[in-house]
Amino acid sequence: MPAVRERPVPRVHRPPKAPPGRRSGRPPRDLWPYALIAPAIGGMLCLLVHPLVRAVVISLQDFRLRQLISGDAEFVGLRNYRTLLSDPRFWEVTGRTFVFMAVNVTLIMVISTLVALMTERLRRVGRTVVLCSLVLAWAMPVVAATTVFQWLFHSEFGIVNQSLTALGFGSFDRYPWFANGTASFTILVVLIVWQSVPFAAVTLYSALTTVPAELYEAARLDGASGSRVFRSLTFPMLRPIFMLVFSLEVIWTFKAFVQIWVMTRGGPGDATTILPVYAVQTALSSQRYDLGSAASMITVVLMSGVLVLYFRQMFRQEDDPR
Amino acid sequence: MKYRLLAGVSAFVTAAALSACSSGAESGDGAAGVTPVDVWLMRDSVSAAFQEEFTEGFEAAHPEIDVRIQIQEWDGIGQKITAALASNDAPDVIEAGNTQVAQFAGSGGLLDLSDRKDELNGGDWLKGLAEPGSYEGRQYGIPYYAANRVVIYRKDLFAKAGIDASAITTREQWIDATTELDKGGTQGIYLPGQLWYALAGFVWDEGGDLATESDGRWEGALDTPEALRGMAFYARLQALGKGPKDSDEDDPPQAEVMAQGQVAQMISTPGGANVVVEKNPELTGKLGFFPIPGKTARTPGAVFTGGSDLVVPAAAAHPDAAVTFIKELTGDAWQKKLAVAMSYVPNRTTLASAVAGDPGASAMAAGAANGHATPNTPGWAAVEAENPVKDYMTAVLTGGDAAEEAARASADITRAMNAGS
Repeated sequence: MPAVRERPVPRVHRPPKAPPGRRSGRPPRDLWPYALIAPAIGGMLCLLVHPLVRAVVISLQDFRLRQLISGDAEFVGLRNYRTLLSDPRFWEVTGRTFVFMAVNVTLIMVISTLVALMTERLRRVGRTVVLCSLVLAWAMPVVAATTVFQWLFHSEFGIVNQSLTALGFGSFDRYPWFANGTASFTILVVLIVWQSVPFAAVTLYSALTTVPAELYEAARLDGASGSRVFRSLTFPMLRPIFMLVFSLEVIWTFKAFVQIWVMTRGGPGDATTILPVYAVQTALSSQRYDLGSAASMITVVLMSGVLVLYFRQMFRQEDDPR
Repeated sequence: MKYRLLAGVSAFVTAAALSACSSGAESGDGAAGVTPVDVWLMRDSVSAAFQEEFTEGFEAAHPEIDVRIQIQEWDGIGQKITAALASNDAPDVIEAGNTQVAQFAGSGGLLDLSDRKDELNGGDWLKGLAEPGSYEGRQYGIPYYAANRVVIYRKDLFAKAGIDASAITTREQWIDATTELDKGGTQGIYLPGQLWYALAGFVWDEGGDLATESDGRWEGALDTPEALRGMAFYARLQALGKGPKDSDEDDPPQAEVMAQGQVAQMISTPGGANVVVEKNPELTGKLGFFPIPGKTARTPGAVFTGGSDLVVPAAAAHPDAAVTFIKELTGDAWQKKLAVAMSYVPNRTTLASAVAGDPGASAMAAGAANGHATPNTPGWAAVEAENPVKDYMTAVLTGGDAAEEAARASADITRAMNAGS
């Protein structure tokens, strides 16, 4: 709570009409900047750090519905983590989470790179059309998009079944997509890729426009093919942006929760249960808030692990003498 | 000056944000001398007209109490109630599904109302509501109303097919009649693949159960031969219409499907008929009711006794006013009005005559004679939240191996029921 006590007293007697931009004369103890960022810091402490600390504490306690209501919970050390790690179902879910993330991130990176490369080569009208479509898809609210996908694949009234049947695939008449684990998983992947490509493609496209045209010309004069130009010129130059987009997509797909919860609730069976869904199921359906928190903590650690591994790999490659 | 003001504001915002972390806002009481009672009732528990009539009548009789009723949706209600019980700003009265009370009572979040039992006519309560409302011998849930499922049918379509609905007393007759109706553009019955309350009834008919207890440990029992026979019957019936195999009665709402006019029957609480007529006034007077047929003409089909209890959170700010509210709503006068208005079974056996003239309610009462409950244990709520039964039904209806799927579903039920304890 420092902001309450630390008033910008020294500023009061200063003539208010001091020319803007001349900051050198100010004493270093000036607290004005701190007061300005205090609300942001306070908000973060309240909305991010407080729940995180609370989740860590709960994951070390025996915390169920009774404790949630009465408020006093007992510390049990690492018991919840031991319970989780010895549960085969948890490992199944973890494995599925990694498959889900790998499939999604690969598809997102490949498709968005291709879209970005294509957009750069288009003329003005085509480029505007592509960028507008990307932004529109991007602007679609997550729950709305998910609901639309759910309707598309509805067994009785869905347009996908109707179209497939009309095209002569009689076996898709009233085909229940969400009763089949693999089908549900695939539909979710399509949905998440569709939702994530716009951001990645627009970011990569704007990065592509910063590569000087002379470099491409020179490469082409040297006889480099299209893929060679991408490998030896475009990708190395844009490596930081690729890294940024990659890590953001890893984070986003790892914690893809809303789409799954709205569409399948992790079912049928466990076919679409990934770690965040598992954590919510454990906490809210079984009222085991302690195990749910522990699962969330493990998710955070695993996700950071993936990113650290990836970055180390990248930096090592960069340090290598080429 | 301007800067100082800005700094002050930002400091204030920060302080407010930080203090909001630690404590919820205090709820203010109404005007002096008037006690507000916050009540959560469920969607379709009362109609808007009944709610208004009741609020006016209650406040006229108790001018010192200000009733504030909020209507909640069934979807996700368990989590909402949990959050309310854990907060220090809980409503004073909550309507909870009868199968949910055990879980909340077991957690210590509800007020023990055992010593108010006589005052509330506890001796005559319906068993199907009073038993799930008690936990370890103490009464936490006060019976509010009961309802069970019946068959709602189209009188005109039955007449056209030359079928007498009152003659349908066994399952086989029911299947024959439905097969007869399922012709042309008409669906014999609209039965979505995941109406698990109906499946539960067929399983109980065969002598099976959803889960069984031995030595305090619950185990899923869908893989017993009895339960498998129940599922086989469900599949036969489900095939006599176009109900989607992968969704439940709310997706799309089955009353709206019936309102479109091509459905001859559906399994629903009698209140569903009101929704059908509301969506399609042309069907007024064309809907009839009969109890779900059993295996023999002597016993009606087993049904799940659904319904609601009223509970008072331990954290309620005005428990006395809350009990006054419950006493009125569950008292003779309002129970009779509610039962007639909403086609429900009143909360006490002595009031059953109130709905004798109502065709929906009398069909319901006939079925209620063979009423069953879901396992009365806090663990059952976890099963309903995850609902492996629904996945099982879809898997079997779409061609899965019944025995294999049943074994898997039973294992899931066992895990869910024992995970919380």
